[in-house]
Amino acid sequence: MSDKETRHNELGSILIQKEAIASIARQSTLTSYGVVGLAPKDLIENIRQVIKRDAKYGVDVTFDHDGLIIDLYIVVEYGTRIKSITNSIVNSVKYNVEKTVGVPVRRINVHVRGLRISNMD
Amino acid sequence: MSTAELTKLSAEERHKLVSVPIDGQGLKTLLEAGMIWLKTNQQNVNSLNVFPVPDGDTGTNMVLTMRAAFDEVSNSGTNNASELAHAIARGALMGARGNSGVILSQIWRGFARALDSESTMSVKLLAEALEEAKVTAYKGVVRPVEGTILTVIKDIAAQAEASVQRTDSFTEVLVDIVEAANASVQRTPDLLPILKQAGVVDSGGKGLFCIFEGMWRFLNGDALDKPITEVLPLSEMNLDNAMETVEPGQDYEVVIDFTPNDGFNLENYYESLEEIGTSIQVGEGDGMYRMHIHVPTDNRYEPIDFTMGLGTIQKVAIENLLAQMDEKKNQKNPKIKLAQVHPDEIAVVAVSPGAGLTRIFASLGVASIIHGGQTMNPSIKEILASFEDLPTDKIIILPNNKNIILAANEAASMTVKNVAVIPTISIPQGLSATFRLIPDGNFDEIVGDMKEAMTEVETGEITIATRTVEIDGVQVEKGQVIALHNGKLVASTSSIDEACEQLLVVTKAEEYERITLFFGEDMKQAQVNLLADKIRSIYPDHEIEVHEGGQPHYQLIIAIE
Repeated sequence: MSDKETRHNELGSILIQKEAIASIARQSTLTSYGVVGLAPKDLIENIRQVIKRDAKYGVDVTFDHDGLIIDLYIVVEYGTRIKSITNSIVNSVKYNVEKTVGVPVRRINVHVRGLRISNMD
Repeated sequence: MSTAELTKLSAEERHKLVSVPIDGQGLKTLLEAGMIWLKTNQQNVNSLNVFPVPDGDTGTNMVLTMRAAFDEVSNSGTNNASELAHAIARGALMGARGNSGVILSQIWRGFARALDSESTMSVKLLAEALEEAKVTAYKGVVRPVEGTILTVIKDIAAQAEASVQRTDSFTEVLVDIVEAANASVQRTPDLLPILKQAGVVDSGGKGLFCIFEGMWRFLNGDALDKPITEVLPLSEMNLDNAMETVEPGQDYEVVIDFTPNDGFNLENYYESLEEIGTSIQVGEGDGMYRMHIHVPTDNRYEPIDFTMGLGTIQKVAIENLLAQMDEKKNQKNPKIKLAQVHPDEIAVVAVSPGAGLTRIFASLGVASIIHGGQTMNPSIKEILASFEDLPTDKIIILPNNKNIILAANEAASMTVKNVAVIPTISIPQGLSATFRLIPDGNFDEIVGDMKEAMTEVETGEITIATRTVEIDGVQVEKGQVIALHNGKLVASTSSIDEACEQLLVVTKAEEYERITLFFGEDMKQAQVNLLADKIRSIYPDHEIEVHEGGQPHYQLIIAIE
């Protein structure tokens, strides 16, 4: 597993840093309906986030030969149907990443880390 | 209330049901009207889907969400608007499907919260509820995308707020809302570039507009079950039916398959076509459109020239309708319309030996018919093909003949779909099982019900012996009429009437309530009617029914239940 995805064409190589992919995934997660925020993956990430804003916050990207594996850590609005929301996140992240980067996405794991309760009813 | 009941109400009744302040039942009626109109326009909304490209199911998702919301309240008699709104919100939440479904459920949730403890809804409260619906919908996302259903609910809420300052008539406010929603939908491409590129308006927004438009159409007395413009999946275009409605002067039928250019606008297309001819249908499948129209002789090339400017034409078919009609009149059997199943529903496949029985099965909601039984047993491949052709993976098959059960089992084990074989060995068993079909019910429960139902009917069959034989202790001469009870030989006589009477005695028909006769292709209706009269005189308390079965070889198939 490397830190970047490498593609070659006749003129040279194209290197796509994980952070680039993470920010696309992040962007499209945040515009998905029902998502009210991203959550730290673990304690270390949580602390790092305090010091420096990081494009990878809440998003984890790994490569293998078959494509990308993206892990998303999200907070969802209370009172929405989580199954439907996570389904559309997966669809829209896969679509946007594949469209912009051109690398197949093999798996997307959505971790619902919390619910935000803005209204109890 | 069913669709038909809802649209049959007079203007007065409609306004009485939905009068200000709106109570629980009024709200329920509005919800239902919105749902029906959305369902009517479902395909239209589906066809607008561009993102994330592949599925095209926004309309379907919204309908399913509305349906779940309505199911939650359909049996509720409460007059309390708040209680009802909360139930709607709960149903919508549980049944929310897809992005637009989730947003719709949030809209209802906010709406319900605003009504809180109010037992009725004034026009002012409606505006507040829509405002709260908007706020709740926007809370569900960090970065709201404008040019979507969110924008439309925002514009609706703003319009409602403005309108209630001016008037306290619900109808007037609703008109304003519908107009604002429409304008908002039309504006979505300006806000969201991806829509502009695809030349469509936002599908979720359009769906929301349809819901409000449905409410307005209901109050206005307009039909809810007939779309203004509709796009059907190609498989559902029923061009045979369209032919029956030939208007004078519209002599030619033109069918064009084409792929539209970018920026193709279906509504404009419909409008232009309406100036050329009648009976317009447009279907869509996989990016290809099929247009169907009836035109007068002089105009027969006009649809082609017109469509040519909008896309690439693949195929054109022109037919003379008058000639076609004559031909159709000569055909004896009208086309049988089978039930359309949706991907989530249960489909029943039935094996039927005759045209009449096929029609009966079709009228009971069977989705696919395999011809066979009695003379020719269908192959495993045929059965398998019928499974694969259905758009659902919950399938029940009724073999209706003991020789077909094995093939059905075999086919069921070969498909990836979830198939249950109900081992019916006769037509009456199959029909009895079909009566228990609830397409959107629980699969396992329905299968259980059907298995139970098939044992509740006795089957009689009357046929002519093809050779001299002694079976089950009954001596039969070739050419004699014989009667079978549940497949077992019970009588051999010289006439059909006599065989029938003996059969009814053996089956202890007096202990049952209903006797149904399905007569075969060798029998005349008049003859069966006489027989039915005779049976009626013997069993005066029974219900006796006669249907054309059309099966070969068996003069009569009798269901005793």
